[in-house]
Amino acid sequence: MSLPVTTSAPGAASPAWRGALYLLMIAIAVVSAFPLVWMVLSSLKTPAEAMQTPPVWIPGTPSFDAYQKVSELISVGRSFANSAVIAGITTAGILVTSLMAGYAFAKYRFRYREVLFAITIATMFLPPIVTLIPLYRLVGSIGLNASLAGVIVPNLANAFGIFLMRQFIAGVPDELIEAARLDGASEFRIVFTIVAPAVAPALAALALFAFVYHWNSYLWPLTVLQGNSNDYPIVISLSRLLSYNRSAVNTGLVMAGATLAVLPPLILFVFLQRFFVRTITASGMTGQ
Amino acid sequence: MTGFRKSIVVMLAPSLGLIAVFILVPITLTIWLAFTKWSSQTPFATATFIGLDNFREIFGPGSVGRDFKGALANTALYSLMSIALILPLSVLFGMLIHQAELKGANLLRTILFATYMVPMIAVALVFSKLYSPSEGPINQILGWVGIGPLPWLSSPDTALVSVVLLNVWQQVGYFTILIIAGLTQIPQSIYEAARMDGARGPALFGFITLPLLKRTLLFSAVIALINAVQVFEPVALVTQGGPVGSTNVMTYHIRRVGIERAQGGLGSAMSVTLLLALVVTVTAVFALARREERR
Repeated sequence: MSLPVTTSAPGAASPAWRGALYLLMIAIAVVSAFPLVWMVLSSLKTPAEAMQTPPVWIPGTPSFDAYQKVSELISVGRSFANSAVIAGITTAGILVTSLMAGYAFAKYRFRYREVLFAITIATMFLPPIVTLIPLYRLVGSIGLNASLAGVIVPNLANAFGIFLMRQFIAGVPDELIEAARLDGASEFRIVFTIVAPAVAPALAALALFAFVYHWNSYLWPLTVLQGNSNDYPIVISLSRLLSYNRSAVNTGLVMAGATLAVLPPLILFVFLQRFFVRTITASGMTGQ
Repeated sequence: MTGFRKSIVVMLAPSLGLIAVFILVPITLTIWLAFTKWSSQTPFATATFIGLDNFREIFGPGSVGRDFKGALANTALYSLMSIALILPLSVLFGMLIHQAELKGANLLRTILFATYMVPMIAVALVFSKLYSPSEGPINQILGWVGIGPLPWLSSPDTALVSVVLLNVWQQVGYFTILIIAGLTQIPQSIYEAARMDGARGPALFGFITLPLLKRTLLFSAVIALINAVQVFEPVALVTQGGPVGSTNVMTYHIRRVGIERAQGGLGSAMSVTLLLALVVTVTAVFALARREERR
C-alpha cells in the first residue's frame, strides 16, 4: 500500500516505479475485463470446442449457432420488450417523481421538511428483502400480481433519486425561479422547463442508474411475476438456460444468453458514463 | 399561502405517497407479522398473534433454527469478506487512477466501472463456467503457476469465498468511483506542504490520504454492507445455498421460507432480525468512528 503520491510532482517517482505502476494498471484492467471477454468468446464456440480440456480460449471458427439456439429456447424478443417496458417506464417515473420532490425539498420552506427528508433518505438503506414478504402480498391484494404493472408501480419513486435531485436543484439560482414566477409560470412549468434543463447532467446520470438497475433487477420481478413467463424480463428468461448449465457442451449457449442480457446496459453505459462519474463526484454521495 | 401549501403537497405527494405505500407500510407489516402465525398465501387479516414464538423458533435448536443461524452466520462472513476486499482494493485502484498520473487511467476507470453495469445473473452464469474445476479457465491459469485445481463452487470450504470473489469483481469499480470522489476533496496544498516538510509516499498515504478519506471509507463500508446482504442471484441460480448449506445467505433463505414455503410469519421474524443486526452494526461503526474522531 505504498503508492507514491506524485500528484503535483510528476517525475518525482523513478521510472522503474512508474513502469511497475503501469504493469499493475494493465493487470487490473485484464482481470476486470477477462470474464466479459471470455463470455463473448465462449458464446462463439462450437459445442465441441466448449468441451475440450484444457479449455480452448479463441474459437477456431466463430459461429453464431449458440445465439440461434438461445432464440429457440426462450422468446428473446418478447423478453427484451418486457425488460425495455419495465426499465423504461420505471426510469421515466423516477425522473418525474424525483424532480418534483427534489425541487420541493430544495426550494420550499415548510414545517417537517427535515423530518420528511430524513425518513425518505432512511429508506435508501433498507435492503429490499426486509419488505419483500408483505410487499408481495400487498401487490397481490391490489390486483397487480403476475403483471408488468406489479413489477413497475412499486418502483416509480425512490429515495436515491430524490436525494440526488435535491443536491443538484439546491445549486440552481433562486433568481431564475423567482423570475419565472414573476412571468406567471406555474410551479409545474418551472420544474420541467427551467429546473430540469439546469440539472440535465444529473438527470442523465439518474436515468442511466435507474435504467440499468431496473433492467438488471431480478429478485422483485421473479417474486411478483409468479411464473407468468409471458411477462418475464430477459434476466429471468435467462434462468431457463440454467438447466443447460450442468454440462459443458452447452457453455456456448449459456454464454450467448448472458451476452445478450449484458449488451443493453453496457451500451447505455458507454454513452452516459461521463455524466455518471461527474454526478457521483459532485453529489456528496461519499459522506462529505 | 394556500396556493403555496398546495404546491408543496402536489410536488411531494407522488414520490412520498409511493414510498409510504410500497416501503413504509410493508416494513411496518413486516414488524407486525414477525409476531404472528401467517401464511403469505392468505390475506393479512388471517395472521394470528403468537408473541415471540417465531423468534424462539428461528433461534431454537430445531432445523428451522439451525438453517436460520447458518444463514445469518454465512451472511455475516460474506459481508465481512466482501468489505475487507472491496475497501483496500478500491483505495488502491482509486489512487492509481486519480493520483499516479498515468496515461490510460480514465480507460481503466471505465473498464472497472463497466462491470458494475453487468446484470448479476450474467455474472453468476459466467463465473459458474469460469470456476468450473475441469473445463474452467481459472483453474487452467492457476495450473500454469503450479496451483493445483481448486474446487471453487463445488466444495463447502470454498463456495462462499467464490461467491465473495465474483461479488468483489462486480462491485469494486463502483467503490473505486466513490474513493476517487473522496480523493478529489483532499486539497493539493496539504500534500505540497507535507512534501516540503520532507514527507514521502507511505507517510503521505498514512498521515494525509487515509485520515482524510475516513468519511468516504465509512460511507463505502455501509453501502458495501447493504449490498452484501442482498446477494441473491448466484446463490439462487448456481449453488442453491449449497454445498451443504455453505452459501445459504439471508436474502435467499428469507425468500425461500417466506414466499416459497409461504411461512410469512417466520420469514418476517427473520427479516426483522436481519434489520436489527444491520441497524446495530451500522450504529456501532458510526459510534466507533465518532469516538475515534474526538480523540
